[in-house]
Amino acid sequence: MDTIVCVKHVPETAEAEIAVDSSGKGIKTEDLVFDINEWDDYAIEEAVLMKEKLGGSVTVITMGPEDADKTLRKCLAKGADKAIRLTDKAFERSDAYATAKILHKAIKDLPFNLILTGTQASDDGYAQVGVILAELLGIPHATMVKKIESKEEFVRVNRELEGGLEQVMEVKLPAMLAVQTGINEPRYVSIMGIRKAREKELKVLGLGDLGLKEEEVGESGSWITMEEMFIPPVEKEAEILTGGPDEIAAKIVETLKARGLV
Amino acid sequence: MTNEEFAAIKKLNFNMCMQCGECTGSCPISPKSQLNPRRHMLETAYLVSPLTMRPPLKIYERNEIWDCTTCSTCSYLCPREVKPLDIIIGLRGLLVEQGRIPSTLGDALEGVYKYGNPWGLSRSKRSDWAQDLKVKYVSEGEKADLLYFVGCAASYDSRAQEVARAIVKNFNALDIDFSILGNKETCCGNEIYSLGEKGLFEELVQKNLDLLDRYGVQKIVTTSPHCFHAFKNRYGRELPVKHYTQYFANLIDEGKLKLSGKIEKAVTYQDPCFLGKHNDIYDEPRKIIESIPSVRFVELSRSRKRSVCCEGGGGRMWHDIPGERLAEGRIREALDVGAEIIVVACPFCLLTFDDAIKTTGNEEKIQVKDIMELVAEAL
Repeated sequence: MDTIVCVKHVPETAEAEIAVDSSGKGIKTEDLVFDINEWDDYAIEEAVLMKEKLGGSVTVITMGPEDADKTLRKCLAKGADKAIRLTDKAFERSDAYATAKILHKAIKDLPFNLILTGTQASDDGYAQVGVILAELLGIPHATMVKKIESKEEFVRVNRELEGGLEQVMEVKLPAMLAVQTGINEPRYVSIMGIRKAREKELKVLGLGDLGLKEEEVGESGSWITMEEMFIPPVEKEAEILTGGPDEIAAKIVETLKARGLV
Repeated sequence: MTNEEFAAIKKLNFNMCMQCGECTGSCPISPKSQLNPRRHMLETAYLVSPLTMRPPLKIYERNEIWDCTTCSTCSYLCPREVKPLDIIIGLRGLLVEQGRIPSTLGDALEGVYKYGNPWGLSRSKRSDWAQDLKVKYVSEGEKADLLYFVGCAASYDSRAQEVARAIVKNFNALDIDFSILGNKETCCGNEIYSLGEKGLFEELVQKNLDLLDRYGVQKIVTTSPHCFHAFKNRYGRELPVKHYTQYFANLIDEGKLKLSGKIEKAVTYQDPCFLGKHNDIYDEPRKIIESIPSVRFVELSRSRKRSVCCEGGGGRMWHDIPGERLAEGRIREALDVGAEIIVVACPFCLLTFDDAIKTTGNEEKIQVKDIMELVAEAL
């Protein structure tokens, strides 16, 4: 099984204090820690698990700045064989469609049976790139995949639906699967492992290498334009509890009881 | 197994092991876990000896390797000075390189790599505990004669932060000039080393040494015996580090610290493994406790070298195992000797005992306090 995994280097925002930058269309990232997008971590793990079981190769690919090499090296340390970074000033501000076009150019001539992506990226949450990429490549796709069983000509996948439902379907290969978190347990990669992965191939390609024109990518090649990004104001109903942990816990219990929730 | 891994294991001094079983017999974890240092020694020997016909040890099937608290009882009791603890850390290292590590421990390592603390909390919140206190932060061009190294637990855990606050209060009460690194402080790496993540540990050593050099640090005092141990024994460079118990005991000797406030309670003391068994520091904490007027000091039945681990070391703060916690047994021992306060000198002991007092339902009978909290009360 030859697999290509599309990954994204994203800022971790769960614990951080977020501020919108001066453009009003992004966030200040200077003090943020970047790492592989959580969903993509499951995707690369799934690809490596399949390689360990069935043989074949894993190629990891990202579109992003030079700093995204950290995520690529991590994937190489996890077991990917080679990495490709797509970097060009012209790629900036690409929407999901433009991003998929760029990935498509890089992937279309590579040999593969399967493309894996995360279901969505934690920064923009579009959940579109994988699906558009599959359309551009003319291959079938499945999203929110939480189990993959590999057969000769197809994969049997379980899709996670709402309400605890799961859907099982067969998808003809080659195919694109967007992986859901929880499909596996991503392995830890040691610092030594990441250092050793420096010996593996990491190719950097730009606009010209991919045979793309400036107007096909970035803002001009996008169908969606970002208007504004903002932090919603705190609603009146929001109440911030203060005090020590015991005090806060008691107040929470009180509130839940008062509203008949427990 | 790669040649490098083979070489790494070969370096460990297991050939002296005579399989007496003292290590397993004394291991406080082995009664509730598959952890068996003697067997791990034997299997590791099989792993590297070309003469044995046994199949190679499948260490990845040995999940119990992660149950070890690195208390070092096995190592100091070993009659052949083999140090089974080093073998366990070595085996952990092999597993880490294969990515085979319980997910919560992997998260702790990632947290240290990305945020400088094993809880993965934001670096910008590291010194929030000190906001309303009189502290000096290190600054470029100014030498930090005395650095107070707070450590991750005392920086982020709300209970352990009280110890950091008590230390600052005590320094200030005694007019001692000190600085802290603030949000620049990063994990000392002691638990990282214990978890076998050598690459990450090396990075932390480099980061911390750079910080100490940049701010011209002359002396270091730590909250945690774990940080103290790392700086003293694992940094490959002689560092002027003291645990706070040593620093404050010395102030008593010099007549600079006189405690006058009365604490009319029966007090016992838990020897932290990384102060006691690892570094032979037993008298200094007792000197401080006993210098508090009217304290009735009682020893636990198993104390000093025979003290029992609280189960917070070796990464176990982030990896729980089934069975009664050692700290729960220790609380019962403390009640048996009539103690009303169990005093600790380590943030991990503080947190494990804080939990154990609650889980054993003894909140009315006994409290856990850090020595620095007692001193702050008695000053």
